[in-house]
Formats: sequence, C-alpha cells, structure tokens
Amino acid sequence: MPVAGDEIETTRKFLKDRLQRDFITFRGHEEEWENIRGLLRRTVETGESNSVLIIGPRGSGKSKLISSVLYSLLSEKDFYKNALIVHLNGLIHTDDRIALKAATVQMKLENAVEGKVFGSFAENLSFLLACLKSGDKSKSKSVVFILEEFDMFCAHHNQTLLYNLFDVSQSAQTPICVLGITCRLDVVELLEKRVKSRFSHRQVFLSPSGDDFNERVELFKELMRLPTEKELRALEPRSINLVDLNSSLCFLRNIFEPKNYKFSKTHVEKWNKHIESLASSVAVKTVLEYLYDIDVTEVFFKNFLYRLVSKLNPDHSELTVDDISKVASVYNTDGKVLLLNGLSVLELCLIIAIKHHSTIYDRDPFNFEIILGRFNKFAKTSTSMQGVERAVILKAYEHLKNLEIISPISGGAAKVQKEFQMNKLMLTYGQIDQAVAKYPALPTEVAQWAQSSIA
Amino acid sequence: RLSLVGTPKRNIQLSNIVEEVLFNGNSSLAESNRTNTPRRSRKINSTYDEDFICDEPKTPKRQKTSTSTPSSKSSAMTPTQKMKLIRSGAISAAIESRDNPLKRRKSDFEVARERLHVSAVPQSLPCREQEFDNIYTFLEGKLQDQCGGCMYVSGVPGTGKTATVTGVIRALKRDAELDIVPEFDYIEINGMRLTEPRQAYVQIYKQLTGKTVSWEHAHALLEKRFTTPGPRRQTTILLVDELDILCNRRQDVVYSLLDWPTKSTARLVVVTIANTMDLPERMLMSKVTSRLGLTRLTFQPYSHKQLQEIVTARLSGSEAFKGDAVQLVARKVAAVSGDARRALDICRRATEIAEETTKDKTVSMMHVQKALNEMIATLKVQAIKKCSKLEKLFLQAVAAEVARTGIEETTFLGVYTQLESIAAFMGVTVPVLGRALQICSKLGAERLLICEHSRTDIFMKILLNVSSDDIYFALQLKNN
Repeated sequence: MPVAGDEIETTRKFLKDRLQRDFITFRGHEEEWENIRGLLRRTVETGESNSVLIIGPRGSGKSKLISSVLYSLLSEKDFYKNALIVHLNGLIHTDDRIALKAATVQMKLENAVEGKVFGSFAENLSFLLACLKSGDKSKSKSVVFILEEFDMFCAHHNQTLLYNLFDVSQSAQTPICVLGITCRLDVVELLEKRVKSRFSHRQVFLSPSGDDFNERVELFKELMRLPTEKELRALEPRSINLVDLNSSLCFLRNIFEPKNYKFSKTHVEKWNKHIESLASSVAVKTVLEYLYDIDVTEVFFKNFLYRLVSKLNPDHSELTVDDISKVASVYNTDGKVLLLNGLSVLELCLIIAIKHHSTIYDRDPFNFEIILGRFNKFAKTSTSMQGVERAVILKAYEHLKNLEIISPISGGAAKVQKEFQMNKLMLTYGQIDQAVAKYPALPTEVAQWAQSSIA
Repeated sequence: RLSLVGTPKRNIQLSNIVEEVLFNGNSSLAESNRTNTPRRSRKINSTYDEDFICDEPKTPKRQKTSTSTPSSKSSAMTPTQKMKLIRSGAISAAIESRDNPLKRRKSDFEVARERLHVSAVPQSLPCREQEFDNIYTFLEGKLQDQCGGCMYVSGVPGTGKTATVTGVIRALKRDAELDIVPEFDYIEINGMRLTEPRQAYVQIYKQLTGKTVSWEHAHALLEKRFTTPGPRRQTTILLVDELDILCNRRQDVVYSLLDWPTKSTARLVVVTIANTMDLPERMLMSKVTSRLGLTRLTFQPYSHKQLQEIVTARLSGSEAFKGDAVQLVARKVAAVSGDARRALDICRRATEIAEETTKDKTVSMMHVQKALNEMIATLKVQAIKKCSKLEKLFLQAVAAEVARTGIEETTFLGVYTQLESIAAFMGVTVPVLGRALQICSKLGAERLLICEHSRTDIFMKILLNVSSDDIYFALQLKNN
C-alpha cells in the first residue's frame, strides 16, 4: 500500500528533523531557565548590566538554553526592538582582533560597512569602547553579548576583551549583559584577578541529573511520538521573521517547523501506541538503562535515536526490540578489535609476538629486530609461515605503525634506523585476546601460539 | 613596525625626524637620511613614507576630505571617507538608541537593586575618607604649586581605587569652577583598554585634541607639547589605570609617561594605579622607579564593618534589607577578598531571589544564604553527583589508582585495570576501551580530571583535579 509507505517516510523525516534541528525546545531546568530569562529581560527592560556564566558538561544543553530563552523573548516586540544581540564563539573568534571585528559588525557601528570593518585593531577597540561609553541606561539599546566557548576567550592576550566587557557591565554606560558559556568547571580560576573582580560571579550550573532513569524513558517517548492533530494546532508558528529583527541570529535560522508535517489520524494513533508499548517493554528499558549508564546527556541519547529512526523504511514500518538492541550494541563494540580483525595473518602474528614480548618483559619497548626474532622462532616451526621474507615482515610492521597499533616512544625524533626504533604497544592484552578469538579463519597454529609464548 | 625601533636612542632620532617631516616640510629629510647608514635610512624612509601618505596635507586623497565638511554626512559617504571623519573626531561614536524609553515606575526591590549595582557610584565613597584627603591634598598641592609630579596608588581589585581618584578629580573640577584651585586638564587612560602599550600615546593625544593619529606621530607631538615651554599652559592631570599592562620589556612607554612630569615645562601630574604594592620594585627598571617617586598610597581590603557600611549607605532610606542579612554578606566577603564589588553583587542577587520566592518586601538571611551558596559555591561536588554511572566509576577508579600507586599522576592503562575490577565488583558491564577513553576525555573537558590529548591513548597521563575526599563525599551522599 503506497499510502502507508508515504506515511512512514514522513514519520521518519519528521522524527529526524525534530532530533536534529529543534534548537528551541528546552526540557527541564525550569529554575535556571527562568533565572537567565529574568536576567536578560531586566537587562533590556530596566537597563541593568549583568554578567553570568553558564557552566555544564558538554552536551548538557547550554546553548540550547540560551536559544530557547532568546526565542521566547524575541517574540516580544518590546524586547527585540530594544536589544542588540552579539554572538561570539571562542572557536571562531580566536583572538580579540577577530572578536572585536565581529562585534563591531553585529552592533552595526559607524566603522562597519556591510560586514567589513575599517581601521586597525586599536582603533576598533577604542571606537567600540567610545560607543559603549556614549550610551546610557535610559536611552540606548541594551547589548547582549553571548560568548560561547568562554574558556577560549580567557586565553586571549591580557584578556582585554573580557576585561572591557565586564568593565562596561560594571559601570554606568550602555547596559550590556555578558553571557559566557563553557564546559569547564574551573573557568573562574582562568580569569585574571581584575577581570575576576569585575565579573559578577553569577554561575548557572547546568547538568542533566544522573540518577533518574524514569526521565529517560519519558524522553524516549517524547522524542519518538508523533503530535496529534490537536497538539499541532496548538503550536504557534515557530520561525520568527528574522528580517523584522535587526539581527541575524544563526540559531534561529532554519529551525524545525512542525507545522510543515501532516499525518493521518489513524497513523498517529497507531504509531504512538507502538511507541508506548516499546517504552514499557523490559528489554527496551534494559537497553535504555545501559545507555543511560554511559552518558546522561540528551545529545548522546538523540544520537542513538537518530540511528534508530534511520532504520525505518516502507518495508520495515515498525521498530522492534531487536532494532533497538542492535543499534545499542554499536556503543559497546571496540573499534580497535574490529581493526585487528581486518589485519592479515602475518600482521596478527607480529602483534602476538609483540604481546609475548610485552608480557615477558612487562611492557618494555621493543624494536623490529626483537619482534622479528620472536616471530622467526615461531615461523620456523610452523607450516604456513615459513619462507616469509624479511622485507615483507618489515612492511607489515610499518603497517602496524601507521595504524597506530604500535607507536614510537619519544616521538621518534632521534635519527635511528627504522628497524631499530623503539616502539610501544597501544593495545591491552584483552583486546588482542578478543581479536584472536574473533578472527575469521585463523590458522590453528597461530591460535595456539597466541595461547602461550612457548612456541 | 615595532621592530623598527630597536633602542631608545634610535627612537628619539626617529621621532625627531617624524617631527621634522611634519613641521618643517620634507626638504630636510632627504639630507638627514643620507648622513645615516644605508640600512637605517631605508628603515626611516619606510616609516616616513607611511606617515607621508596619511599625514601629508598635499596628497590628493587628503584634500578630498578637507573639502567635504562633516556636516555633509550623507549615506553616499565611502567607508574611507567615513574612517577619515572618525579619525579626525568629526563623527562621534554612538550606539543605536532605544525604540521606547524605559518604564518609570519601580518596585522597592528594583530601586534597591539599582542602588546596589556596582555602576551606581555614590557621591562620596564611605570608608575611604582618609585616602580621599590624601590624594586631594597631593593633587591640590601640585595644582597650586604649578609643578609636576607622580603618585602611585595600589590595592587589590574592588577596593575603591579608581572610584576615589575620579571622585577627587570631580571635587577638584568643582573647586576649579569656584576658583579655589587653578583650572586644569584631565586625561585618563587604562592599560587594559589598549591593544598595546604604545597606544597610550594615541589615547592621550586623542583626549587632548580629539584626533586619532599613529602612535609615532602622537608620541612626537606629545613630546613636543611637554618639552617645549608654552605660555598660559594649564596643569594636566593624567590618570593611568592598570599600570602593569603598560610595562613591556623595554618600558619606554612608562618611562616617557613618568619622565614628562620631571620637565619643568610639562606641568603634568601623573597618578598611576595598579594592584600590586611592590610593582615599582618588582617590574620597573630602576630609572623608572626613581621617577615614580615615593609618594605612594595603598588601599587596604575592606573589613567586614566597612563592607557593611558601604552596603547600608547605598540602601539608605530603603527597608529592603534586614540588618543581619547585610552583615552576613559583609562577613563572608571580607573573609575571602574584601572586594566591594563582590559584596554588592551578592546583595543584588539576594534581592532577585527574594523577589522570585517571597511576597515579602524584605531580603532575609535565608535569601542571602542562597545567594552566597550560588556565588561562592564550588561546583565540583555537584558536578560529580550529576555524572553518569560509568563516569562516577571512572572517577572512583582514578582515585583508587592514586591510592594504589601513591603517586598523583596515573596512566590510563592503570585506571582501566582498576575500572575493570571495580565494575566487576559492582556487577556492571565493563565499558570497552574506546568508550572509557571517551568518558575520560569528557571528564577532562569538564576539568574534573586533567588529562593529556587522547592521541596518547592508553598511555595517557591522568591527574585528579578534585580531591578524592570530594569524590567519596559526592558518591556517599547519593547512596543515602
């Protein structure tokens, strides 16, 4: 039935779209959300200057918190007419010079013409400061500075930009709000003492709670279910007219728009029922709990769900428990073991020789000659490995080095011939044992040799 | 361009030449160049050329702007023209204005919050009367005597140094209007607002005339202004904030800033502000230290009584705060740093909390306690509590490995072995090595651990960035 196939395609598209591009739905942390929202609102409404740091582990939704708060505020005319938003990222704006230019452009100052900033770095700084100084509380627009990867800004020369931003926020000039976003817990220690003194020491700690598994099951349901007609109707159109706002906010561009999707009522009911039944099954819960043990962040879980959703197609219209456990098993496979299984038998023999050397000499470094000696002792008595040339073995050894299964000690800077260069093994014995056990069609001799070092 | 100026001697030569070019036309330059060594002359030529292009009034480019008056500020102005107007000070820096003015009516809390904001500097600073008098007498004396001098003010951040000095200047300005003291010019620069020390010349010159010029040019012009006698010259007070940033290796900027007051023609009074008390002895060359003189003033950190006084002075008339709530803030802050900014920020946060939570009109101890927890709290214990199960196990494994080896630095291999045994003990599936590495780097990004780049793989060195007691404490609390 082609119609049902279409439904599945749309469902997949919808779910993927929601997982990937929904930048503004923020779950949990109501208190922090209100805190930041109140802060931004006061900055714009009453012209109060503030500074705050949002700290949380990677993937805990720091940027999403900001975009969600801004989204909710920007739909108010009062806010966006009176606010300038400057968005800087420590990974893009790698020094103060670039950051300053970006800020000048985003604030649309006099010395910026169509995205190009004129004048030297020193001129730009003094002009920006003069502009901020010229403003005052009651008349000029409030500026919201969002500094992502805040810890990178701390590495800039003298922390000039941070000092000046915090200094403006602590003096009677243009009202600004400095929002720093970082994953480092000790970020305040990175600030210089005068910068630290000017920072208002508001810290919002954002972390997913690591001990409530039921939340995760709820999240699974929420992210997988389809909205009913009624819910769709209740949603407001989400994209704000960005031309209307006098700023180009990257995070509000091209966002997920649920209104673009339409489902038949029967399909939605059927799908949601299916998701409910999945969520209540014990096997699924075990898998989810396993993932929850690894990582509690939403991003990690979304990544898992994305892989899962990708399995949907017209021929395979329902997700099964089997699918879920199969996708989850990816998270517990060792990449290195897979890599070892792709090697040739000769290379595996070399690794076994290295392992024997390492067990005997307690992880002492080795070179090609040592390993060759050990390998030859085995090869002489074996039936399949006789008559392998030295050059071929050296080639295999080089291959191992390129795969970083073995790596030279002290960076290999010394001018030593490659046969005599000392290396160390970058695997655990467990990994080698697993690889030997899993290797397809391994000669029995090699498997036996791997068991004990006495050839 | 920096490398052009190798030694102070050459610097003086260079600035002379620049001056000559600017004031006597370019005829003398070619001759003076020829007398120099060829190499140096080339260098000077290049500087000269640059200055020539931007400052020589005869170039056609320049003429265009001089004809176009600033009043014809049309939208058709090219960026270069605009930049020239900015440099000449014809365009004033401005920021976009609001659509609608601020709302007027304010609640009690809002008034308190506004008064508590660090930017709301009161007319007279409480608890800094003595320092105020000290600086005032110094500056007034210098103004009356019409001579130059230096002063060095130090103290930890947030102890009211800049606020006091600017307060003194304000008082002096007022007195000058009443003809109690002679008129004077006031210039302020801040080391942290400059991209490099030499930009100080540019900023000083800009505050004198409003024009932006290159630093060589500005230096030459300032040198000329301060070293040649000028009739009817007023005394200039120069406030230099964040002096330590102006100290580069050669210290030529600090030297000239402190050398000008010694000239009888300059009539310059320099007040320098920095954090460390022993900066002149520690960082400055002896000839600079000697010029800085011994007129020094140190701002002590605020004691808890003073902090309390500062906060109550700001809140005067308002009933928003309870007395013991202010005292708690003052005592907590004074014990850590004596930073007034910190105390004011905490009070401000407390009003926000009070506004959110209670219908009450006052901030009580409870709110202050919450604000203190938020702002002086360490996040580490909280962060460990919120980790996932395997991350917690990993932290435990690091702690166990540290306890086993007795050395603080552990390697990943050892930690992984510990992790395997702990996981086996707890009945948890052991994560594969790659996953464990991922967990490790995640904890490293949060700085719960300090670890090397994961390129080093199983030989990665790992340090615990929290005390093992913290880990124990955080995990223990969870079990109960």
